[in-house]
Amino acid sequence: MDSINLFPLYLSLAVSLCSTLISLVIGLPIAYFLSCKRGRVVNFLDTLTSLPIVLPPTVLGYYLLVLLGRQSPVGQFLENSLGIMLVFTPVGVVIAATIVSIPYLIKSSKTAFLEINEDYLNAARLLGRNEFNIFLTIIIPISWRGIVAGLTMCFMRALGDFGTTLMIGGNIPGQTSTMPIAIYNALQAGNKDMANMLVLIMTGIAVMVLFIINSMEQKVKRG
Amino acid sequence: MLEVSIEHNLGSFNLDVSFSLNKGVLGLLGSSGCGKSMTLKTIAGFFAPDNGEIKLNGEIFYSSKQKINLPSRKRKIGYVFQNYALFPHMTVYKNIDYGIKHLKKDERYKKVNEMITRMQLEGLSNHYPSQLSGGQQQRTALARTLIAEPDLLLLDEPFSALDAHVKQLLEIELIELIKNSYNGIVLLVTHDIEEAYRICDQIMIIEKGMNYPVMGKKDLICHPPNLTAAMITGCKNFLDVTLIDESDENLRLQSGRLIFDAVKPVQPVDGMMTAGIRAHHLSFVPKDSVNDNNYAVEVVEVIEGVYSNTIIVNCSGCVLRVETSKTFDFGMPEEWLLHIPAKRVFLIKRDQRDKH
Repeated sequence: MDSINLFPLYLSLAVSLCSTLISLVIGLPIAYFLSCKRGRVVNFLDTLTSLPIVLPPTVLGYYLLVLLGRQSPVGQFLENSLGIMLVFTPVGVVIAATIVSIPYLIKSSKTAFLEINEDYLNAARLLGRNEFNIFLTIIIPISWRGIVAGLTMCFMRALGDFGTTLMIGGNIPGQTSTMPIAIYNALQAGNKDMANMLVLIMTGIAVMVLFIINSMEQKVKRG
Repeated sequence: MLEVSIEHNLGSFNLDVSFSLNKGVLGLLGSSGCGKSMTLKTIAGFFAPDNGEIKLNGEIFYSSKQKINLPSRKRKIGYVFQNYALFPHMTVYKNIDYGIKHLKKDERYKKVNEMITRMQLEGLSNHYPSQLSGGQQQRTALARTLIAEPDLLLLDEPFSALDAHVKQLLEIELIELIKNSYNGIVLLVTHDIEEAYRICDQIMIIEKGMNYPVMGKKDLICHPPNLTAAMITGCKNFLDVTLIDESDENLRLQSGRLIFDAVKPVQPVDGMMTAGIRAHHLSFVPKDSVNDNNYAVEVVEVIEGVYSNTIIVNCSGCVLRVETSKTFDFGMPEEWLLHIPAKRVFLIKRDQRDKH
């Protein structure tokens, strides 16, 4: 039996963590903006941020290639001026994972923000706080459950992405092949032990995350 | 000194409110959806009106002409919300502390504890709002508001979320607390004339987005300026009358077959008039009484209430509601006459429903 190469696991975990963090930093302000403003720009942004949920992953990957590939203006700029290559690199994989997973965080947080009673915010305003301060002291603490739920879905979606990652990152063992791609590779190569092992690990992680969420929810209910 | 003059299009009607107030407690009275809460929210700065000006002690909060719209956080306004809007994730202590974060730590500690004592919240500082009773929540909300030392205190139906039996107790308590710890201007929004009368010095009626002038509460009850004011303040008996005679003191009025006297109002009334008389001012007197304005009546219906009974009578073709005490025993209706006290009759010019 070949020794099992666990690099895909490390890569997947690192990529998912990175993309979840990026989603948090970019997604929360977007969710807040979408929850408190109205108008055409907001509707457009809302649709745009939901698009990755409904688009097939390969289509999404294709768009990303067109947008960020070596032939695109953005890709050329990054390559010529900064020496950064996105396509077929781990950075590209992170971008792909972020794009497919960020809508889940935005949707979940936005719903949580919208449920907050406007009176809380008005009370805080009259007590002399500015909007950013209110965001940190009132909005986030009240809606943290929705945000955590969004983060979890975001993480799992990033962990499990296949199509978009394959389009952008390719399938370079030891560099860009994440867990789902490694499972596919193992199956293609007839390495059943490897495939079984990786599938078990993935299932284990999924069950564990669900377990953590459930026990957290129960704690909140009891507390 | 609070000066408000605002116009705002609310879709179904226009909010058009203007008044000014030097001090004391002013009740904004009106039926639900008349714009009274909206007025409060506009003063607090949650909405900008289309037009107008809001000034407090000379400081401009809002002016459409000068393009000034001071954000809520700079207005120094205290606001007690209908559901109190206590922050659910913070303890009583942290809720009260929220508005004075700019002060030093030990000073804050002192102030919060002082406020907790004054609002009788001892022992509750580590409780969350969901663990408090309605009255405790209300006091916490008041504490949170008053600790920031606002220049203006706005109360938005503060008793509507409470059960009837605790409502009156809390009302007395709240007024005491406010009078002892606050001496700025207070605006109270309510739809209940009894509540407004008990709490406020002055009352302003709002109807369909328009306000009537600010009036002293006694004056408003004795001499309502118009039909709406009379109805909102609980008057049930209205008679369309014509003037048939007048002496130095009295007017003789006729409504259908009923002829009665009313004391001459200070401001002369002429033309089409409506006479109003409150149900609790009407009374029954024994048949042999000699004073004026006594009439034989036919009882139509007796409605029993908790604290008083309402007797609906037909008096020479006019249907009137008479409120009597529970101890009043009617016995034989023929034994009694209905007495309309001339002093208590007020006159309103008919169709005087427009503003001012």
